[in-house]
Amino acid sequence: MLSCRGLRKDYVTERGEVAAVAGIDLEIAAGRYAAIIGRSGSGKSSLMAMIGGLSRPSRGQVTVDGTDIWSLSENALAAFRNKRIGYVFQFASLLPTLRLVDNVALPAMLGGGRKSSATYARAAALLGQMGLGDHLDAYPSEVSAGEQRRAVIARALINEPALILADEPTSDLDEQTEIEIMDELLAVNRERGTTLILVTHNLALAEQAEQIVHIAHGAIVP
Amino acid sequence: MRLLASLALQNLGRRKARSLLLIMAVAVASGVVFTGATLMRSIDSSMAVGFTRLGADMMVVPEGALTNITAALLTVEPTDLVLDQDLFAKAGIASVSRAAPQKIARVEHSGIGSHHDSVDLIGFDPMLDFTVRPWLVEKINRDMRPGDVILGAARDAPLGSELLIFGKAHTVYGRLGKTGVGTHERGVFMTFDTLEALAGSVHGHGGGPPAVLQKGKVSGFLVELAPGATPLQARFAILSTLKGVKVVTGDSTMSGIRQGLAALLNGILALMVLMFASTALMVSVLFSAIVTERRGELGLLKAIGARRGQIVGMMVIEAVIATGAGGLLGVALGVLVMRLYERSLVYYLENIGVPFVWLDGPRIVIVAVAAVVMASIIGALGSLYPAWRASRRDPYDLVRGEG
Ligand SMILES: Nc1ncnc2c1ncn2[C@@H]1O[C@H](COP(=O)(O)OP(=O)(O)OP(=O)(O)O)[C@@H](O)[C@H]1O
Ligand SMILES: [Mg+2]
Repeated sequence: MLSCRGLRKDYVTERGEVAAVAGIDLEIAAGRYAAIIGRSGSGKSSLMAMIGGLSRPSRGQVTVDGTDIWSLSENALAAFRNKRIGYVFQFASLLPTLRLVDNVALPAMLGGGRKSSATYARAAALLGQMGLGDHLDAYPSEVSAGEQRRAVIARALINEPALILADEPTSDLDEQTEIEIMDELLAVNRERGTTLILVTHNLALAEQAEQIVHIAHGAIVP
Repeated sequence: MRLLASLALQNLGRRKARSLLLIMAVAVASGVVFTGATLMRSIDSSMAVGFTRLGADMMVVPEGALTNITAALLTVEPTDLVLDQDLFAKAGIASVSRAAPQKIARVEHSGIGSHHDSVDLIGFDPMLDFTVRPWLVEKINRDMRPGDVILGAARDAPLGSELLIFGKAHTVYGRLGKTGVGTHERGVFMTFDTLEALAGSVHGHGGGPPAVLQKGKVSGFLVELAPGATPLQARFAILSTLKGVKVVTGDSTMSGIRQGLAALLNGILALMVLMFASTALMVSVLFSAIVTERRGELGLLKAIGARRGQIVGMMVIEAVIATGAGGLLGVALGVLVMRLYERSLVYYLENIGVPFVWLDGPRIVIVAVAAVVMASIIGALGSLYPAWRASRRDPYDLVRGEG
């Protein structure tokens, strides 16, 4: 499903080049739950961004379902992000001017195609599934951080992606909420067969994964 | 498209004060541009009207008569001094092709208009006239008869209706188009016979009828040069042939007016260009800042699949809504200002010798639409570059707060 070949990311800084990701080869099979672990600054987020089509690699290839995503045109890449990938970021990532239900519906609306009433019904259903049925019309600032994160998961699911990328989705939440949110993600992985790649510092969470990728200094530690 | 527009609207609503300031700034600029353009076009078309279509080349009045130069191009100002009606006919001056005599009596309590309005009754000779009848925009379908009057554009009465002047019945024969010259627009025109018949009712300074209402006497002549003759030749010929007259040339005054006006128009134009440029710059600076402020959100939008066109579109729509609204507001302000200051403006312009007629409605609408479109274009241009630059960046850089 996912394959990375010789993936590199060099950042140019005032103090010279920093190799955030220094040549990674990686295979993850469809439907897997994979965990990426590593110390802070080891290059996990940079790797995820390249896999998800958010950050152009300095070198190397990312292939998702046979498509070399970084050779796609701008618009095709945008469509790839929209249709194939669901992101759950490390930080708050809802648009503050939109209600939760608008935020969740947004990726489907951007992609066009489907009727907006159907999209909104689906967005409402997903929010209900995440326990936010009472907060459809709330703005992000009116709900808690955990609830925001759930809304982000609902948004990641609206276009039924093949791959969910979650970069420390629970790092700023309390333990109980973390467990609940991880349960949601794992349920999606099990029930829908969606491939899940999770970056985490929580070793207990990582140990449940079918594949563990350990990264240090931008490279995979065997 | 609707989605982008609603996102743009919501973004405008987030910083209401800032959006309002932007709208106001654009309103001021487009108000100035709209007002300036309307005035320029009005003055331009007034010039064409006043000078080319109708202008007499010069005017001959009694020595000592006061002459308002602008009005003089079209009608002789009322005066007590008179000339003989057959002055030119007898003299036969080669450099003059036509000399149209006019009698002008400024009267009060004539029954025309409100009680204290003074009215210029203007007599002309249909055989020699070239400044009155060419202006007829509507008339009864027959020849002019004694007792018929022609109304200036500013007067309103149905064709064929009866008009009482000093109690005497007259028939409204026709109406003139707008000329921009007060005496011409407010005048009531008639043949010499008709005017002379009113002599008994009009009282001059000495109590009796003014001298100009006597048969054979006129207030002055409007003169058209013979082809090929220069104003200088004609002036010399007239002054050496006729005694007790003054020659007022349109020419010299016109070029003076034109120069003054050109400076004025250039000033307005420069101001308009400056306004346009500085507004475009301001919008561009503002939107660079807005894009920077929102790059996280833009990155997020890209991350969830917004295409570059959608990102740019959203920002440009936001700018166009704001500047378009500013443009509309500016036009409204401009209309308001021109209404409020209409009187003093027209007075001022006529004072410096510029005849003034407002552009007609449809053309003002065109100028207004152009001003709003221009304001929208400023918004589009000003926001396009910052939005385009941001849209090029990788979403990850944007959400991390770089770029
Ligand atoms: N835009 C950038 N410019 C310069 N250096 C960068 C940039 N982004 C990341 N880096 C550097 O690249 C390295 C990897 O960063 P990255 O964010 O991928 O690490 P990480 O494993 O996700 O860390 P964390 O666990 O703290 O999120 C770090 O040393 C970081 O300082
Ligand atoms: Mg990270």
